[in-house]
Amino acid sequence: MNPLTESTLKAESTHKRNRFWFKAFQQRYLYMMSLPFVIWIFIFSYVPVWGWLTAFQNYKPKDSILDQKWVGFANFIELFQDERFYIVLRNTLAMSTMGLIVGFTVPVLFALLLNEMKGQFFKRSVQTISYLPHFVSWVVVAGLVYKMLSTDGGAVNQLLMWLNIIDQPIQFMAKGDLFWGIVTVSDIWKEMGWNSIIFLAAMAGIDPELYEASTVDGAGRFRKMWHITLPGIRTTFMVLFILSIGHLISIGFEKQFLLGNPLVTDYSEVLDLYALKYGIQMGRYSYGTAIGIFNSVVSILLVFIANGIYKRVAKESVI
Amino acid sequence: MKRKMQLALSLMLALVFVFVTACSSSNTEGGKDTTTPETTNATNESATEPITIRLAAGGNNPNWDNMQSDIGKFIKEKTGITIEQEFPVGGNNTEMFALMVASNEYPDLVMPSGSEGKLVDAGALLDLRPLIEEHAPNIKKVYGEYFNRLRWSKDDDAIYTLSLTGVGHTYFDAGGGFQLQHQVLEAAGYPEIKTVKDYEAAIKAYIEKNPKTADGQPNIGLSLNGGEWQILISVTDPAFGATGAPGDGEFFINQDTYEAIMHYQRPEEREYFRWLNHMNDIGLLDPESFVQKYDQYKAKIASGRVLGLIDQQWDYGQAENALKAEGKFGSTYARFPVTLNETYRDHTFLHGTGYLPALGIGITKDAQDPVRLIKFLDYLASDEGQVLLNWGIEGKHYNVVDGKRVIPADLLEQKTNDNNTFTKTTGIGNYNLSARYGDGVKDPSGNYYTTTFPEQIQAAYSEEDKKTLAAYGATTYKDLWPTDGVLPDRKYGAAWTLAFETGSQANVIFQKTQDIMKKRIPQAILAKPEEFDKIYDQFLKDLEDAGVAKLNEELSKMVKARAELWSK
Repeated sequence: MNPLTESTLKAESTHKRNRFWFKAFQQRYLYMMSLPFVIWIFIFSYVPVWGWLTAFQNYKPKDSILDQKWVGFANFIELFQDERFYIVLRNTLAMSTMGLIVGFTVPVLFALLLNEMKGQFFKRSVQTISYLPHFVSWVVVAGLVYKMLSTDGGAVNQLLMWLNIIDQPIQFMAKGDLFWGIVTVSDIWKEMGWNSIIFLAAMAGIDPELYEASTVDGAGRFRKMWHITLPGIRTTFMVLFILSIGHLISIGFEKQFLLGNPLVTDYSEVLDLYALKYGIQMGRYSYGTAIGIFNSVVSILLVFIANGIYKRVAKESVI
Repeated sequence: MKRKMQLALSLMLALVFVFVTACSSSNTEGGKDTTTPETTNATNESATEPITIRLAAGGNNPNWDNMQSDIGKFIKEKTGITIEQEFPVGGNNTEMFALMVASNEYPDLVMPSGSEGKLVDAGALLDLRPLIEEHAPNIKKVYGEYFNRLRWSKDDDAIYTLSLTGVGHTYFDAGGGFQLQHQVLEAAGYPEIKTVKDYEAAIKAYIEKNPKTADGQPNIGLSLNGGEWQILISVTDPAFGATGAPGDGEFFINQDTYEAIMHYQRPEEREYFRWLNHMNDIGLLDPESFVQKYDQYKAKIASGRVLGLIDQQWDYGQAENALKAEGKFGSTYARFPVTLNETYRDHTFLHGTGYLPALGIGITKDAQDPVRLIKFLDYLASDEGQVLLNWGIEGKHYNVVDGKRVIPADLLEQKTNDNNTFTKTTGIGNYNLSARYGDGVKDPSGNYYTTTFPEQIQAAYSEEDKKTLAAYGATTYKDLWPTDGVLPDRKYGAAWTLAFETGSQANVIFQKTQDIMKKRIPQAILAKPEEFDKIYDQFLKDLEDAGVAKLNEELSKMVKARAELWSK
C-alpha cells in the first residue's frame, strides 16, 4: 500500500464501503486468482483445528470423535498440575531464548563482515562453505558433537588437555548445566551460514548511492556499517525476529532428543518431547492435544506482543 | 560476448537439470514396475500368486535381507509372498505404533513388541482364534497345552498375537550374567568369579598391569550400556539378578502373597548400586556409561578394550562378532553368574516361568488377505517350515549324515565367527515370524528343530571359550550357573509380560517412575561415595511422590489375576 492511496482513502472515508466494493469488482480477477490459495489454507490449516475437540475428551482411537467421553478441562488441569511440565517449559523457553539471541546476533555479524569483503570469489566461497552444515541432518550433527565432546579421545577434551587448561577430561555431555549451551553452540554451527543468507541479500539491496554519499561526507567503514548497512536491513531483521518469537515455544525436539541422555533429562526435555512421551507414546492423544493447544495459544500471544512492542518503538507494524 | 557466454552456460545448466530429472523419473518408474504387478495380481485369489505384504517390526534388524537371502528366495518361490519389513526409526518402536494408531493405517503384519495393548485398544488387530482353528493346524500343534496362554485377558478370550518365543525351550547356554574378557581371566590364572568382589579384583589386576591395549589405546575396566533404553538390561536388571531375585521386569514379586514392589525398593539392591558407585569411585567404571549411545558402546567393545561388561549376549553380540571376525578372540567374553556376595544365588535357571507368550506377531484389520497370511504363518510353523527357518535348505546349508542334520564346517565357521554376514546371506534367523519350538525340542526324525543344542553350542565355542570353560571344569557357560534346588514355575509367568492399560493412571505413574529411575540411578552411581545414600534416599522418595504405592498395588492385582487365569 503506497502513501498515496492511504491518504486518498482517509479523505473519502465516508465512501469507504462503496469504494471497497467498487474496487473489489474492479479487481475481481485478482480475487478469483487468490481464491484457490485461500481454500487451500482453509482446508489444510483450519479444518484440522477441529481435532482440538479431542483435548476436552478422553480420546480412544477406536471410536469416532463424536462418540468419545467428554471430560471438560481435566487434561489441562492435569497438565498444569504436573511439575514436570514447568521444568520442560523452563527448558524450552531457556533454549529457544538463547537460540534466538545467538541466532540473530551471530548471523548478522557474519553477514556484516562478509558484506565488507572485496573479493567476490572469496566472499562467495566463504558463504557457500558456511551454509553447508545446514544440510547435514541433526542425527549426524549429534553424532559429531558426541564424538567431539567425548572423554574418550574427543577432540575438545584433547585440545584443552594439550593447552593445560584442564588436567582431567570433562564429561561435557553428562553435565546438565552445560546442555543448553551445547545445544545453542551446535545450533549456531549448523545454521549460522544459512541464516546469514537473507541478511546478505538484504544488504545487497541497499542503494549504493547511500554509501557514495556517506563517503563524500567523510564516513569511515564503521560509520557506514552503523548508519547505512544496519538500518538498511532493519525491516528484514524485524520481520524474521518477530516470526521467530512466534516459534519460541515450538522449537521442535530433534536437537534435544538426539543430544540428550538420561543424566541431563532435567535440562534436555522440551515441551515437544514431553508431549511425545506422555502423550502420543502412551496413547494419550487428548493429553498430547492439550499440550498442542497450549503451544499454539502461547505462540500467537507471543507474536502479537512482540509486534505490539515493535509498533510502539518503531511506529510501524510487521504483521 | 559476455552475454553469449552467459546464455550458453545457462542453457547447459538447463540441459543438465533436464537430464537429471529424466534419469531420476525413469528410475522410479523402473522401481515401480517390479512392485505394482504383484500387488494388483494379489487380488486374484490363488495360493502362490505373488503378493507383497508389509510387516512392521518392533525391533531393528540390521541383518534383514529383503528376501534376497537363500531362505528369502525359497519362501518367495514357494509361497509367492514377498515381505517388506519396516523398522522403527531411532531404535524406539513406541512412536511407530502410536503414530500408526493415530493415523489408523496399518501394514498387513505387525510385531508390536510392547505396544500390543495400544493396537488392541484401537481395534487394529484381528482375532486370530477362528483363523487358527480353521486354517492353521500346525500353529495349534506347536503351542499345544499352552495355546490358551495366548488369550488376551480374563474378559477377552481373543488371540491377537502369535507368540514368537520358542515353545518347550530349554536353555543350554546362559546369555546373561557378568562378562569378562578371556585375556583378563587368563592373565589372572582363571580365578574364581562368584561375587562382585572377585569380578572387580580380576578387572583391577589386569588394568593395573595393562593400562593400554597393544595398539596404545587406554583399556576400560567396565562399560555399561546405560545411555539408552538398555539401561534396564545393563544397569538395573543385574541389580536383582545379583541379589538372588528372578526376573520380573521392574518389579519384585513376593512369591507367597504376590505382593509387588518396585525392585529398587529392596534394600539389597541399594548395596548393588553402591558397588557400582564404588567401581566408579576407583575409576574402573567407564565414565561415559550413562552418556554413550548404543553405537558408541558397540564401537568400544569392538575395539577390544572393554575388559568387563554386565549385559546380555544379544545386546553385545554384534560387537563381539566384529571382534571374532578380526580374530581378536582374547577380547571376547566369558559369562559368569556373579552375585553381590556369597549369600545370594543367581536365579536365572532356578525359578522358571513356564511358556511365556511374548513378542508376538499379529494380523491387522487392514491386511489384504488374512486367510492367506495365516496359512503362510502356518507353513512357517510346520515341521518343514521350522527346519527351513532354523537349518536352511538341505544340501546347501546342512547335510543329513546318518539321519542327523549337520552344518558343513565352512558354514559353521562363518556362522560363529561372522554371524552378521551369515544371517544376511542365508536368511537363517531372519524369518522367525510364526509359532515355533524352542531349543531342545526334537522333530519326528529325531533331530532338534533348532540349531542350538548341547553339542552344537560346544562346537560353536571358540578355542578361547573352550580354554576358559575347561579351566572352570565346565562344558557350557550354563554349567557355571547354579541349577540345584529348582523351584516350581512361577504361576503368573513373569511380571514383565504384564503391561499396564495404555493411558491409564498406572501407566502414567509407571512412565514417571522410569524417568525418575533413569535420572537418579546414574546420578547415584556417579556421585561421590559419601553422597550415595543421600541420592538413593531421594530416589526412593521421588518414587513415593510419583505414586509408586498405587502402582505396586495395581501390579499385585494383575499378577493375581494372571495366576488365576493361567492355572485354569
